[in-house]
Amino acid sequence: MTVIGSGTRHSVGSARDAKPKQARRRGRRFDALPYALVLPLALFIVALALVPAAVTIVESFFRVQELNPPTVFDGLGNFRRLFSDSTITASMGNTALYVVIGVILSTVLGIVMAVTLQRPFRGRSILIAVLVLPWALPGVVEGIVWTGIWDSNTGLLNSVLSSLHLISNYHVFLGQNRLLTIFAVEMVQVWQMTPLSTLLILASLQNIPHELYEAAYLDGSSTWDAFRRVTLPLARPGIAIAMVQAIIATLNVFDQPYVLNGAAQTGASLTEQTYFVSFQNLDFGEGYALSLLITVATLIVSLGVVKLVYRPVEY
Amino acid sequence: MTSLRRTRTVLLAGVLALASVLAAGCSSGGSSASNKTTGVTITVALPTAPPPQASLDAFTKSTGITVKWTNIDWDSLQTKIAAAATAKTYFADATDVDWSRVGQLSKLNWFYPMENYLDTKSLATQMPQISSFSPNGHVIGIPYDASFLVTTVNKTLFAKAGITTMPTTLDQYTADLRQLKSKGVVQYPLNIPFAAAEGLSTYWYQTTAAFGGTILDGSGKPQFTSPDSPGYKAAQWMVDAIKQGLVPPGNINVPDTQAQQTLMAKGTVASTFADYSGNVGSLYNVPASSSVVNQVTYLPTPGVSGAGPNMSNPDGIGIPRQAKYPAAAAKFIEWFTSAQNQADFAGANGPDKVMPGYFLPSQLAGVTQLNDKGKLIGGDELSDLLKNSAKPIFQQGAPSWYPQFSKAVYTNLHAAATNSMTVAAAIKAIASTANELSS
Repeated sequence: MTVIGSGTRHSVGSARDAKPKQARRRGRRFDALPYALVLPLALFIVALALVPAAVTIVESFFRVQELNPPTVFDGLGNFRRLFSDSTITASMGNTALYVVIGVILSTVLGIVMAVTLQRPFRGRSILIAVLVLPWALPGVVEGIVWTGIWDSNTGLLNSVLSSLHLISNYHVFLGQNRLLTIFAVEMVQVWQMTPLSTLLILASLQNIPHELYEAAYLDGSSTWDAFRRVTLPLARPGIAIAMVQAIIATLNVFDQPYVLNGAAQTGASLTEQTYFVSFQNLDFGEGYALSLLITVATLIVSLGVVKLVYRPVEY
Repeated sequence: MTSLRRTRTVLLAGVLALASVLAAGCSSGGSSASNKTTGVTITVALPTAPPPQASLDAFTKSTGITVKWTNIDWDSLQTKIAAAATAKTYFADATDVDWSRVGQLSKLNWFYPMENYLDTKSLATQMPQISSFSPNGHVIGIPYDASFLVTTVNKTLFAKAGITTMPTTLDQYTADLRQLKSKGVVQYPLNIPFAAAEGLSTYWYQTTAAFGGTILDGSGKPQFTSPDSPGYKAAQWMVDAIKQGLVPPGNINVPDTQAQQTLMAKGTVASTFADYSGNVGSLYNVPASSSVVNQVTYLPTPGVSGAGPNMSNPDGIGIPRQAKYPAAAAKFIEWFTSAQNQADFAGANGPDKVMPGYFLPSQLAGVTQLNDKGKLIGGDELSDLLKNSAKPIFQQGAPSWYPQFSKAVYTNLHAAATNSMTVAAAIKAIASTANELSS
């Protein structure tokens, strides 16, 4: 609207008083200050985001192997090698499972917790502050903390289950079974991500006018109906953002599987493979290509979720 | 109006200055090396705590070189070394040269040859493990501690099982482990860290050496493909051990240091075949972290028909090509690896001079001094092993593609232990990686 309006104004105005405006323009001095104020930030973004991104895209089509110089154009060679490497394709599968488990669990738990926190109650602020703690912890620290829980020889979970006589022998949660390992590792990331999902969804819920619930109850809706027909539809913007941040986090999961499961194929993620390819094998070309694949996958999945879940809401 | 214009001019100048600083910061970080050895500050980046401040101050007083110590965990440090060298950017004047990265670092020419600065030939007579750092005739790192793999046994638990004569061969050792289990002394007598990590690879190398073999030949070709080969037998022995209940099932996901701390130091297991050379003194005999104080001892490696070799995995220090003050860094390395300082750091001359986490000097004279003063637990055994049994894992130095090879070793052996693949398939996959990388 603004664009159309200003264009219309401009054309009408230029026909009416072109000469005085040109004179004003000639008389106006160029003001460098706004550009100068933006310049540091622009430089910062260009140097630390756009240039590395451009280098990544370009170099992913080159063979960049420190141990095997020189750097030469290789077309889709890096991508072909990645897709023919069974460890990489296995990690693609693992990462897909991380995404599915992580996004579903963190979103569902986020909705449940946000709805719980929607109405004011005593201690709500303290609860929200405590809730944020796992989100504030570094992934490596969380991995180490959870090692003490999942550990198969001396872990807390085995100890509790054994004390309750629910198991006779200690169970191996990590490293043995692929699905169990991925689930156990992803639980740690869900524990980290859910607070942010909760806050994002809670922000959406806080905007819902109370009158809508009153109207729904007057029309005979149950609490469940009100949740389904009022809360969920109106929380969709927040849910979509929460899901997108969960997709980004799970597609790039590194700390938790690396600390809890090492490089084992039962749980190695794509970002772990990027690290191994780039900094162990010193094959930066493949590393760039793998990073690019992760970025493209993140964009596609995120766009899909936004298209599916996001609906603009106006009150 | 004039005041406003002046304010705007000052603001504009300030912002442009900030922008130019940012632009300069984002430009090339290359540095030019200086041979100055006095009045300079050098950065030392190692995955260990620094020596006592008093020692560093004494070094500064005697040389005019100030040391800024940066303690970075091993994995992050390797990433920083690679990133800085690739970008040709300065990040430290002296840093870690791990034995496993020697081939890679040497081929990439990322470190200065140490013979340019130190008399490495003389040092070699006193530092048996310096050979692990000299591929292609150039020494690119000086070992600052002596680390090798050694068998440890809890003699109290062995005695409870009626074993008073320590095993000297692998067959006896395996039989003793079975006896410990069958007599119910411990449910799982042997510690093998089966997590997919470097500790599993080095355990296999040590076990292969005990079976009388090597991993790779001089041209990097695998020596373990035949079922009769020591490497194959070692892999089979390790996987059989977990399947037959000699190793705790939970070890499938436990890395080496964690297993040493939570199992061996707690008396849950009775032996670690490939343990770290300093662990008796620095872990098992420390009451705060151990419940087996004075129970664990070093053992000459049980081999096929007698004592086998011990594989060296020492930590080294070198000078990256982008160092600002390589000559000053060399002076520091000379001081840091001197026999006297190493003995001090290991506790020969009182707790004030101890460097946290430092245990065994790389210089034989340092080991002798420490042992003579009775400050080295298991000193006679360790001195003897260091002088006579400690051998490089790869005679020609680790190949440049070692990190890729090691990953193939630990991921496939881990998979074999989880029943995801057979030992034969694991060995085939490891050999295939070695063949591909060495060709």
